[in-house]
Amino acid sequence: MKIFAQHGYGDGEKIIKGLSNNYIQGAIFSPRDILPDKLEQKLNELSTQFHDAEFLIDPQYYTCLIGNHPNLNIGKLSDYQSLYFNFENRSKLEIEKNISEIIRRSLLYQNNLPVNEIISPNILISNSFDSREAVISKNFIRLSKSISNELKIEKPIISSLVVSSDCIRNHQELIEFLNDITVFENPPDGFYVLVSTRNSESRSELYNSETLSAWMLINYGLKINGFKVINGYSDIFSPLISTVGSDVCSTGWWSNLHNFSLERFTPSNTGGRLPIQRYFSNGLLNRITFYELEALKEQVPEILNNFETDDIYSNGEPDRANEVLQSWEALSKLCNSISSPNISLNLEELNNKINNALNLYSRISQILLLHPKSNSDHLEPFSLAISRFKQLSEV
Amino acid sequence: MVIPEITKVQETFKDYNNLTFVDKGGFKIVYSGMLAEKKEAIKLVFMPSVNDVNGPDEIKSDIIEEAQKRIIREIKLLENANSPFIVKLGELKPRDIYIDNNLFVSYSEEFIDGKNLHKLIREAYLPDEAELKNLLICLLEAVKCLWENSKAIHRDIKPLNVIKTNLLDRPFILLDLGIAYIINETPLTVSPDKRLPPGTTKYLAPEMLNPNFRGNIDFRSDLYTIGITIYEFATGRHPLAKDSDDLLLTLSRIIRGKPEPLKKFRTDLTEDFCMIVDQLMKKIVAIRPSNISKLIDKIKGLK
Repeated sequence: MKIFAQHGYGDGEKIIKGLSNNYIQGAIFSPRDILPDKLEQKLNELSTQFHDAEFLIDPQYYTCLIGNHPNLNIGKLSDYQSLYFNFENRSKLEIEKNISEIIRRSLLYQNNLPVNEIISPNILISNSFDSREAVISKNFIRLSKSISNELKIEKPIISSLVVSSDCIRNHQELIEFLNDITVFENPPDGFYVLVSTRNSESRSELYNSETLSAWMLINYGLKINGFKVINGYSDIFSPLISTVGSDVCSTGWWSNLHNFSLERFTPSNTGGRLPIQRYFSNGLLNRITFYELEALKEQVPEILNNFETDDIYSNGEPDRANEVLQSWEALSKLCNSISSPNISLNLEELNNKINNALNLYSRISQILLLHPKSNSDHLEPFSLAISRFKQLSEV
Repeated sequence: MVIPEITKVQETFKDYNNLTFVDKGGFKIVYSGMLAEKKEAIKLVFMPSVNDVNGPDEIKSDIIEEAQKRIIREIKLLENANSPFIVKLGELKPRDIYIDNNLFVSYSEEFIDGKNLHKLIREAYLPDEAELKNLLICLLEAVKCLWENSKAIHRDIKPLNVIKTNLLDRPFILLDLGIAYIINETPLTVSPDKRLPPGTTKYLAPEMLNPNFRGNIDFRSDLYTIGITIYEFATGRHPLAKDSDDLLLTLSRIIRGKPEPLKKFRTDLTEDFCMIVDQLMKKIVAIRPSNISKLIDKIKGLK
């Protein structure tokens, strides 16, 4: 089980440090945040320096239908228009020939770069699996491998599967969609799974047992059928999906790289103050602020991971550029402790960790009132998601 | 259906020696006979007239027509099936014959010397893991062949339709493609009880009972019945149905019942093997392992 960096604005040395220390084992690059020549240069440098790491590019084609949005901000993605990216309208995507051409351009572009696998493009299924979007999405998935074969591309093809949290809550429709995509004649080698929310701060959409159990079911179904499963923007939810077969989970350094939302490409406001640095506590299965860590670490020492990157927090407020290294190390160790081939055991182990976290939160409640993002609100949906998943999958 | 006298059958098939009655089921009667040095199974499929068919008048002619088409389909599938784990056609090409004024379609298959798994289960035979793995691989290869060559689903995989042989290269052979379904062809599913799909009720995959899903079925329904068959052969008990159950209870168990893990009844089998069999019996089609080649490699790699 691997952790990848979800690349975004302001990379600096973060990915290099993460790879050097083996906190991450790869990175998924965001064309929105890097110019094409810089991306090529970066990939050349990284692939030369880190032979065992995996590098991919998220083609971000799911933005192709939002060209008329009043707040559109696709950043440097517009510089990729001559290479592979275009805005589209939905009716154009109903024609298979057009989809084939989009896939062809995207695969050819990535194949010329030192990426280990190629992520083929797709659109977002925003409302329902019983929709035009879902049919278009299935066609993107169905066609990607055969086009790669036509182009004689040897790198594995990872098909994007971009779904909204609203959409996957309808389990019956999700199951029918999974039934279809797991039996294509010429299937891709894997899937790059993104679960979107309306905005990256809308916790209620993801902190929902029906959404989380569906995300688990997607991972489980794809893995059972022999696909590689790469989850983008999975952050705090990575432990849940690691238990059921995810090969890769990812997260980045800003909060808009923790959860996936098209709002990143259509921001309603810009600027604002920098967030407080946080510490990812494996004991709590959550992040708490640096100040909360300082206030609690003597009385509830179990919140500390005692990993290498804890040093970043030992001399006062940590360097903001290093904060993500701590998240990556913590997530990597947490996910790898619950990703054995035996799914029942993994789920049991995660349930134990949830119970342990509840106990820690109970002790903390005697000492300190936590910030809303730091509190235990995630644990109930985690626990219910495991039960719901077990029911759905008969595990 | 009246079983014709053996002397009359022998008169009809003069090229075959030592014709012997073997079995009958549904509209089919099976004889064995020697064609030169080779033993074959001669199959007579009774073509009913309107008076022979039970059920409402309006579907009687449909049932008769369906019976005829099924034979054509079965033979076409057998011609296309090049897997050693599917029974092969014999020398006798399909033809209509009359015996005692009854119409039969006759054809032959290779005669397979062995016992079906149903008989072995009744004899309390206990296969070891190596044999169960062999069986699983043979059935997976058979299903893969039907799907890849003909886009067909067997739909009736069960212990009665699998023969254990003494052949090293063909240890298990799948029989009876009589109700096989070919994707994108006419379903041929007319039955006196239109509410149920064809097949043996307790071996129906759950999705076959979902009217909204029937148009979408594929070979993964056969993977489910392979799981059921392996489980029953390994433990001597059907994972869901019980002999005392009535039809409704059986259907309810298929849709909602959760089989006990195979490991519970066969503690001597490895966890990994039991998990594969359990996985094949999942209710949700998408969480049955559909990549048969990878699955076979995985089974071969189990220690």
